[in-house]
Amino acid sequence: MELGLLRLAIGLYLAGTVAALVGIAVRQDLPRTLLPRLLWAGFVAHGLSIAGRSWTAGHMAVTTFDEALSFLALLLVAVFLVVQLRRPLVALGAVVSPLAFGLTLAADAVYRGVRPLAPGLDSAWLPIHVVLSVLGDAVFALAFSASLLYLVQERRLKARRAPAALRYLPSLETLDRVNYRCLVWGLILLTLGMVSGIVWAHTAWGGFWSKEPKLVLSFVIWGIYVVLLQGRMTAGWRGRWAATLTIAGFAVIVLSLVGVNVLGLGNHGKAF
Amino acid sequence: MERGIVLVGLNHRSAPVEVREGVAFANGRLEPPLRRLVAVAGVAEGAILSTCNRVEVLACGPDPAALGAALPGFLASEHGVPEPALAGHLYTHTDREAVRHLFRVAASLDSMVVGEPQILGQLKEQYAAAAAAGASGQILHRCFHRSFSVAKRIRRETRIAERAVSIGSAAVELSRSIFDRLADKSALLLGAGTMGELTARQLLAQGVGSVMVANRTFDRAIDVARTLGAMPVPWDRLPRYLPLADLVIAATSGEEFLLPRAAIEEAMHERRHRAMFLIDLAVPRALDPAVNQLDNVYLYDIDDLEGVVTQNRGARAREAAKAETIVDAEVDTFWRWYTSLDVVPTIVALRERMEAIRRYEVERSLAALGALDPRQREALERLTQAIVNKVLHAPLTALRRHRADPAEAFYVEAARRLFRLGADLQELGPSPRSRQVPDAPPEELGEAGAERPQASRRGPGASEERSARSARAPDGPPGGEAERESAHAGRRGPGASEERSARSARAPDGPPDEFDEDT
Repeated sequence: MELGLLRLAIGLYLAGTVAALVGIAVRQDLPRTLLPRLLWAGFVAHGLSIAGRSWTAGHMAVTTFDEALSFLALLLVAVFLVVQLRRPLVALGAVVSPLAFGLTLAADAVYRGVRPLAPGLDSAWLPIHVVLSVLGDAVFALAFSASLLYLVQERRLKARRAPAALRYLPSLETLDRVNYRCLVWGLILLTLGMVSGIVWAHTAWGGFWSKEPKLVLSFVIWGIYVVLLQGRMTAGWRGRWAATLTIAGFAVIVLSLVGVNVLGLGNHGKAF
Repeated sequence: MERGIVLVGLNHRSAPVEVREGVAFANGRLEPPLRRLVAVAGVAEGAILSTCNRVEVLACGPDPAALGAALPGFLASEHGVPEPALAGHLYTHTDREAVRHLFRVAASLDSMVVGEPQILGQLKEQYAAAAAAGASGQILHRCFHRSFSVAKRIRRETRIAERAVSIGSAAVELSRSIFDRLADKSALLLGAGTMGELTARQLLAQGVGSVMVANRTFDRAIDVARTLGAMPVPWDRLPRYLPLADLVIAATSGEEFLLPRAAIEEAMHERRHRAMFLIDLAVPRALDPAVNQLDNVYLYDIDDLEGVVTQNRGARAREAAKAETIVDAEVDTFWRWYTSLDVVPTIVALRERMEAIRRYEVERSLAALGALDPRQREALERLTQAIVNKVLHAPLTALRRHRADPAEAFYVEAARRLFRLGADLQELGPSPRSRQVPDAPPEELGEAGAERPQASRRGPGASEERSARSARAPDGPPGGEAERESAHAGRRGPGASEERSARSARAPDGPPDEFDEDT
């Protein structure tokens, strides 16, 4: 049942990818109106799948690697849909949809079934910490998407005689603004996620600094984004440089997400 | 055929502006000339199309050759121009070619800037004038309405109007790729020459928040600033104002670069690296090309913009080829309807229809009556023939009487509808015959295209199809759509449908070519 819903969501994200790609290639309304609908449908199916699984497991189903990937995809789609409410950005959807599709597909591929939670971890901190952290990651993923588009659009404009196929990308200003907003929100969420994690670790095991590789990597990510935000606010960093740093920061996020789990490092590696 | 459509006119290709302006009709005062047009001998219906790039007279009447000869005289006498002065500039299109020309004009395939959106609106206005003056009748109504839907279809199915094809609109299009909104941006115009002024005007029309004008002679800057509603800036204070500019249009050059790289770098630093779009229209170039390497600075010189425009023109030309195919198919559809308005084939079809019914009923009665002797049989035949002849007498007389007069089309169409003679009324469905025709056109031509667009040009095939059509059984595709359409037009009047289509014809956010043509 949960798996069926997940696969339905995967299909809808794929359809969304196609709609978004068609939507930036041809200037027609149908794919543009279709994209949010497909993603909303995917979001609902996906959300029900995770809810069903949490019901079976007896705790929020965000503790295994596949569950984490799936949850990240869900929140990424949610964040995009919220942004999309204010301003339809099909091109952004053309990056977000395949990301969501890839993440859910990977989640489906590494599916290992429900696993019992390590003792002492089943507390209210679980949803708080996980939702904050993963939401932060999702917002950074959106910032990454906007930065990617920024670099493409910037390259097109600098080249001066670039292929006309990319004319319908959003303007540089729009993309840069999305980047900035995501940066601010992502940093807030990341900070809260880290704090909640530290507090949770303290209540579960005692002690604050548990030589947790994930925590170390999170500090690196946090550092990158704080520097970037600082640069943006005081030195007027923007545009290509900001986009590049955003992408670098997101690369570290992916590294930490995949690396920690694949190598089974620390509590985050073990828990999954 | 005893009736023809003729279009006589001149356009931006056939005549220089001095000639065009000499024969242009004043917009909004078309009614008197339209009345005089339909008063010309042989003109049954007429319409006038006049924009700054074309003046055309379209007329419909019994003798196309006479029309072709009379219309240049009409055009000349309307404007008090000697007819020989126009002779070399006028073109004459007859029948299918006239219809094709009108369709191409409506779809902006005949415009100076192919794909520009103004022409359709102008065509609609001038058709409305013709309709209001009672100059256009059934044939021109249909012809114009088809031309509007052809234009819409082309706009929908091709990308003919999508790209910027002038320097100014290319600059605007690019600035939209850089900036989200133009309303909170300011532009700095360097050099108050014509070119720069035009571009600045275009940017203002697109909603740029404010414009500053700098010129070596400050007085000239003040003058231009006044006409633009801009702010004049003293030349020697440029470094102070440069950081405020999101767009810079350089339209004057000097011994060395107006703004060296260092100046831009400094300005960028001061504006905290917010993006700056530099447009260098000057030859030799006024801005150091090296500034394009700076982050967040986008420099386009005149050649770059020309490059964009050429690229877009090429794309438009490719789209125009697709559009021509659509026009071909639509002309064929129209022409099938038009030829169906002839009296003679209608009479033949009417007789055939009646004869078929009579024969069928006689056979049925004979079968029911059993064996009859030849005399009884002949009496039955005579009786039925007499009934048919009496019934047909009045309609056929009416049709013959109105042959080749303005009411012909009306009577023919009425007869065809009342007796359901074929489905030549509007979008005829594919006839059973035409489906079997070899080398049918490729599928991608669309619905109209799927209907043998070349039919009437092909000679034997065409006449074959026509006879097949007139002999078709009563259950042919109904003319429902046509009836609905004309009923609709009748109820709301041409003005109403005009307005509706004018609204839908406006391209939502195509590139701003509004300044290019046909004003």
